[in-house]
Amino acid sequence: MAIAEVPRFVRADGPDKVTGSGRYAADINLTGQLVAKFRYAGVSHARITKLDTSAASAMPGVFAVLTAADVPDVIYSPVVPDRRLFAKDVVRFEGELVAAVAAVDAATAQAAADAIVVEYEDLPIVDDLEAAMADGSPLVHQDWESYAVTGDTVQRPNVASFSSIEKGDVDAAMANADHVVMSRYVADGCHALPIEPRAVVAQWEGEKVTIWTSTQVPFDARAGVCETLQMPASKVRVIVPHLGGGFGGKCGFHFEAHVAALAKAARRPVKLVFSRQEEMVAPDRRREGMIVDITSGVKADGTLVARSGWIAIDNGAYTADAAFFPQLAAMHVAGPYAMEAVKIEASLVYTNHQPSGSVRAPTAPQACWALESHTDELAAMVGMDPVEFRRANIVDEGIEGAAGQVYGEIGLRRCLDAAVEASAYGDDLPDNEAVGVAISWWPSFPGPSGAYIKIDSDGSGMVITGAQECGTGSVMTLRMLAAKELGMEPEDFQLVYQDTSAAPYDTGATGSQTLLNNGRAVVEGAREVAAQLRDLAADRLEAAPDDIVLASGKAHVSGSPDKAVSIVELAGVAAEGEMLIGKGSGTPPEYPSVSAVCVGDQGLAGWAGPQFACHAVHVRLDRETGVVRVLDVSAAHDSGTIINPVAAHGQVEGGIMMGVGQALTEGTQYGDDAKQRNTGLLEYKLQTAADAPTIHTEFIEIPDPNAGPYGAKGLAEAPNVPTAAAIANGVAKLVGMPVRQLPMTAERVWMTSEGMSS
Amino acid sequence: MSFTIATTVDEALVALGAGARPIAGGTDLVVGARHGKAALPADLVAIDRIDELGGVELDSAGVRVGALMSHAEVMTDPVIVGSYTAIADASALVGSPSTRHVGTLGGNVMNGSPAMDTGAPLTVLGATAELRSVTGGRTVSLDELWAGPGRTTANPGELLVALHLPPARDRCGSAYVRLEYRRAMEIAVVGAAAAVTLAADGTVASVAVALAAVAPTILSVDGVNEALVGRTAAAAGPVAGALASEQAAPISDLRASDRYRRHCIGVMAKRAVDAAARRADGESIAVPVNRSIGIGAA
Ligand SMILES: Cc1cc2nc3c(=O)[nH]c(=O)nc-3n(C[C@H](O)[C@H](O)[C@H](O)COP(=O)(O)OP(=O)(O)OC[C@H]3O[C@@H](n4cnc5c(N)ncnc54)[C@H](O)[C@@H]3O)c2cc1C
Repeated sequence: MAIAEVPRFVRADGPDKVTGSGRYAADINLTGQLVAKFRYAGVSHARITKLDTSAASAMPGVFAVLTAADVPDVIYSPVVPDRRLFAKDVVRFEGELVAAVAAVDAATAQAAADAIVVEYEDLPIVDDLEAAMADGSPLVHQDWESYAVTGDTVQRPNVASFSSIEKGDVDAAMANADHVVMSRYVADGCHALPIEPRAVVAQWEGEKVTIWTSTQVPFDARAGVCETLQMPASKVRVIVPHLGGGFGGKCGFHFEAHVAALAKAARRPVKLVFSRQEEMVAPDRRREGMIVDITSGVKADGTLVARSGWIAIDNGAYTADAAFFPQLAAMHVAGPYAMEAVKIEASLVYTNHQPSGSVRAPTAPQACWALESHTDELAAMVGMDPVEFRRANIVDEGIEGAAGQVYGEIGLRRCLDAAVEASAYGDDLPDNEAVGVAISWWPSFPGPSGAYIKIDSDGSGMVITGAQECGTGSVMTLRMLAAKELGMEPEDFQLVYQDTSAAPYDTGATGSQTLLNNGRAVVEGAREVAAQLRDLAADRLEAAPDDIVLASGKAHVSGSPDKAVSIVELAGVAAEGEMLIGKGSGTPPEYPSVSAVCVGDQGLAGWAGPQFACHAVHVRLDRETGVVRVLDVSAAHDSGTIINPVAAHGQVEGGIMMGVGQALTEGTQYGDDAKQRNTGLLEYKLQTAADAPTIHTEFIEIPDPNAGPYGAKGLAEAPNVPTAAAIANGVAKLVGMPVRQLPMTAERVWMTSEGMSS
Repeated sequence: MSFTIATTVDEALVALGAGARPIAGGTDLVVGARHGKAALPADLVAIDRIDELGGVELDSAGVRVGALMSHAEVMTDPVIVGSYTAIADASALVGSPSTRHVGTLGGNVMNGSPAMDTGAPLTVLGATAELRSVTGGRTVSLDELWAGPGRTTANPGELLVALHLPPARDRCGSAYVRLEYRRAMEIAVVGAAAAVTLAADGTVASVAVALAAVAPTILSVDGVNEALVGRTAAAAGPVAGALASEQAAPISDLRASDRYRRHCIGVMAKRAVDAAARRADGESIAVPVNRSIGIGAA
């Protein structure tokens, strides 16, 4: 059920962005503004033996130089607080901030940052996940036991967060299996890579600071500033101008406090604009490298009976928001399959790499790639067609999943059927082409969220929301929801968003949650206004409020369309007295309970609004060079009701392109010094428009009662999950065995086909 | 610091004589400076408005290709596409449409990158470079011109005005193939060009093969003519590939290991010889070869 009959929906921010009149954070310039530059550690693990800023401070044009000594000594981060604004005593990755400078211009600020004297004593580098977990490994955090960890988070030496999911007796079930298949898959880390490198501008007026920043999560950013600079929320206002993409890279709290602290010390507004290289090195949000070991037991008839898994996730030097990654990764290694017994253990391992954090569907594309490659290995072991093997083992309505959640009506089977049907699967193809298939799932994330709705005297509406637009268009879609409740058009509504002092709380553009949660808030707020309109109309039309229908910009009496008054007229009346103002937050959907035993539980074993997908990808392999091209992707998604089809297709297409990049060309390469070697777009290869395959998308629309408005689930992350896995299965068919490293670069594919290991 | 906009070659030469560096499309010079490769020269002379530096002219000695021909012009020029196809293959692969419209053949040659795409094609087609300075002119082979990565033997006062190609021969075809990981905005991981002339009986009458991105400068494959003359076109490719792999001196870097480069240069050389021979035989393979055969094809 699409609520939009309109074939095209024009984004409220589209014309501004396309014509160039839209303003981004880097476009903001304030009177007297200074430029910020950071001094980065430049080494991966070392003790600071000397830090002298005197020469930098003495340079003409330098207004402020800050180090850890100049800001409150606060250890922050959600769940596993393990970092400070500036390094204190020890630096743990190359992009860690040692100092910050504000100066009259960029050249002066850079010269001053360079003039800061830092001396180090090397500490042993920790950059191998397995070695880091071994007894006696050097520690990334000597004081890990003193951190004020919250929740049920389990920690160990060099392990920031451990989770396991266990159901049934795996050993017994494995013993009953006819075949047991073990696989190891290793994924490199990669980047979110929004086209806009971030910018932050801070300006103080008295004790209050206003921060313009390119963040996906303005309320999180504000909370970070409040926590680290020890300020009340009432004194911090965060505003986000147009955002040039995020993909998770701009989730969390990043450099807002550093710039605010510089502005305070300098008594001038300060602006920070990142270079591409800084964007790739400094933020604590990049996609995590991962080692996945999976062992599954199957019956000769293809019934999956048991699965055990061991997962090591590269946390990098600090935990950012990654404490939930192990549980999420474990769920993805279990996958949307039924089995009697499962035991999966996952560890988030500290290393001296850039910190990991939520990038579009954290842990899932890698874990799905490992699981779905393994699943094709299982099918081959029992001599079954891989699609048939999946049909025989997937979860469905009334079936219990690996963690013990029992599902309602879900569209996984229909996704599998639809994607395969739309693809060339089973067709006669040239001998260098194949179709690979992968299925996937992803949770929806219920949470608190609020919005105000008002209608002004001229009848124009406004949605004032805490939600953040990061390019997905979901905030734009909120206008459709308000319009539907009020019998108006989406274009009748303006949006006020991305300002923490104007709107109620929302989690931000993270976890595919905007439409799910803020949509609910907007509907509830609009319903308040609808009730107000009906009361007003009832008075005028001499009818009961319950008999008033709002449609086509009018309020009319049910059954008598001619007995009507326009909303514009009612708005004029209301403006003289009881105004048209609504508010909403609504009750978030509930997390279902599960029967599995979860150590280190982060609340993610039972999923509300679970989303399902299948991608069938037609690939071509240049056998002599190992270069893979993706020709065609058939995608089918169950994300519940699709409210804005244009935006929904955009999400799927974008997610697939990101998946193609992760599958084939995008991977961070590290040197022996644990520093990234490909921190520019010349050597870190994104996909281009010229590489884009043909994409067919089908939505399996099953309204989910325990999800968002009209039964909508999330959609922003799910399309990114199965693409790499499906590509891998196509490639494996052509090579004759899986390529066990991600990205499956041409050289790795070639080496695999030549029987070499790298 | 100065920026001179020259409208004639003579004006440009005066500025060069006074120490300015030429800037054509700026896609190497400016992008390199932004990337921190080398600071932008203090004194620049823009040569992009000099009409004399453009165009393709046929003369008794063959063809003169102006240094200022953009890649977009090169890839569609009927003479180049018709008789010197490998150069068109190369230009058609450069960067993106915007790079090709701004970047020039002369800039590609004078920038001297070992990964330059037009270098191997120009080499196998026997191109020479016409350099001019306030004191006069000279014509040098490309082999003499390129001195190492990013270095040429041209004097600071010399401008590349044109590339000269010998007259087109009958039953001659050429092609340039490169290994690329994506279909736009790519730099050659390795690349190979071949020019093949066929005898009346379809065997190879003469052949030249040159390689990009496997040595400090463009590498001509030695002994390939001797090894291939008299062979059938079909047999020629693999032999050329083996020679190319043998003679390449590739490095390991972020794009590929030396081992993989050495393997792939053989594949590229084989494909270049195959495509060149097919073109020599009259077959029409659209420019660029990378989009017509192999992995980059539509
Ligand atoms: C996004 C992008 C993609 C690219 N992709 C490719 C690619 O696929 N393949 C490839 O080979 N290259 C590629 N390049 C490099 C570049 O575009 C080409 O080398 C181009 O041909 C350079 O020409 P230009 O006119 O822009 O040179 P400029 O930058 O103007 O000059 C380059 C150098 O040559 C000198 N110079 C220029 N003209 C003359 C002259 N007439 N006489 C003497 N010296 C001269 C300049 O002083 C400078 O040192 C790419 C560049 C970019 C930015």
